[in-house]
Amino acid sequence: MVDDSPTLQIKQHWFPTKASGERSFLMRMEFSLNQRPKGTQPNMAEVAWSTGDLARAMSILPSIVPPKVREGMRRLLQPWPAGRYTEAYRRSGGILNLFTPPWGEEQDEIWAAMLARWQTHPFADADEKKAAYLALEQQWNTMPHPFFAGLTPAQVMVGGGPREAQLAEEFLDQLKHKYDGQPFESEGEMLMKTLMLLRGWQCQPQRNGQRPMDIIVAERNELLAIRARALAQRNQP
Amino acid sequence: MSKRKSRRPLAAPASAYQRAIRQADEVLSRNGVDVRPDNWQQLALEWFAPHEPDRSELARYITAYQDRLGPRWGKDVLRLEVFFQNDDYKAVIAHYDQAFSPYPRCALIEMWVADRIYRQGGDLWRARQMYRHALDELPNQAKPRYEMGFISYLLGDFPGALEWFSQAAALVADDDIQLRSRIFYNRGLMRYLLEGDKWAAIADIEEALRLRPDYPQALEALRGLRGTPRWVPW
Repeated sequence: MVDDSPTLQIKQHWFPTKASGERSFLMRMEFSLNQRPKGTQPNMAEVAWSTGDLARAMSILPSIVPPKVREGMRRLLQPWPAGRYTEAYRRSGGILNLFTPPWGEEQDEIWAAMLARWQTHPFADADEKKAAYLALEQQWNTMPHPFFAGLTPAQVMVGGGPREAQLAEEFLDQLKHKYDGQPFESEGEMLMKTLMLLRGWQCQPQRNGQRPMDIIVAERNELLAIRARALAQRNQP
Repeated sequence: MSKRKSRRPLAAPASAYQRAIRQADEVLSRNGVDVRPDNWQQLALEWFAPHEPDRSELARYITAYQDRLGPRWGKDVLRLEVFFQNDDYKAVIAHYDQAFSPYPRCALIEMWVADRIYRQGGDLWRARQMYRHALDELPNQAKPRYEMGFISYLLGDFPGALEWFSQAAALVADDDIQLRSRIFYNRGLMRYLLEGDKWAAIADIEEALRLRPDYPQALEALRGLRGTPRWVPW
């Protein structure tokens, strides 16, 4: 008899830093929101987008999921703000950003430069200035950000899908195979070697000729399109 | 590219730092170094910046701030150089943090310390901020631009990396073989990755190999580019 009840899988990975190990849990939570539970049933993110009902989306989770994970997923499912997606600083950014040392508003020189230009620009009145600020926030949300490995904040917010989850697993297996048990003289050296392996891997075409970075971006764009459709349907009278 | 890579084991910071200072002073003493009011500038230049363009830059800094510097600063620069020579990255970072904060920022010293901060310490963001300062203060130096390019690459910002490597390529001296070969090799790979420009990539990698004929990554990359086009790991 086929058993499709939740099963516990134990797998060891190797991480160069504590921060990246911790962020991998967040990455997996983001993946699981975009993972279809069975056949054609909508996933948790789709339920949340199309209904706005977080409790209904959370009900898809198996009962064995611990409260701490539930809490994390509930946070991830919160509606996105109308303005700038600052929550993106606290998302994992997926496998392409898993090892980047933590950063936020303080390091974001892209937003700082945009803001500085806005502050020094002469506007006709307060309304025009406010409108320009709102447009600036949308621009930041949708432009590739160099510190998110070229993903846009919106692509970071939507999380990775099943294809990225598979690619991430493949990369983490490769990383463990290459570096687990190897002697390193510093955490910095581990981080450098990991990042160099990652950047080489993401550019290396797979068997189908596609590069992991292109697969990841395409899938996140698909997820953003699904979200946009779901929100549009929900807002229809 | 003369300050060597760390090969020291990890140790407890506080007591290790005091021990490192004592050892550095012993090294200085063994070398007959006596830092005095009449020789601290000369010693700092001879020990920390024996070659151009670093020497001129440190001399410019000393001239600009000589009223705020002095023998104590000179001795701390010499100690820093001993830590670099001993490849003790923890002592380099600890000493920089503890000894240099009272003085005006020196872009040249920061540029070398930043290497240790990210390559061994893993703090990309702090190093990036220090290189930003070096970019402003050392507009003719290729190294901070190269390092910004490398950090951009590590962050997955390939267009940014190409831009920084191109800026570095325009500034790097012909006789700085290590740095020049790395800049051209890395720019070649970025050109191929982003622009698909195989011939520009080959030209850059050949320039790297002209300088360092035994550069293993460049040899492998050239073989790859001349054969089936594929991404060659960094």
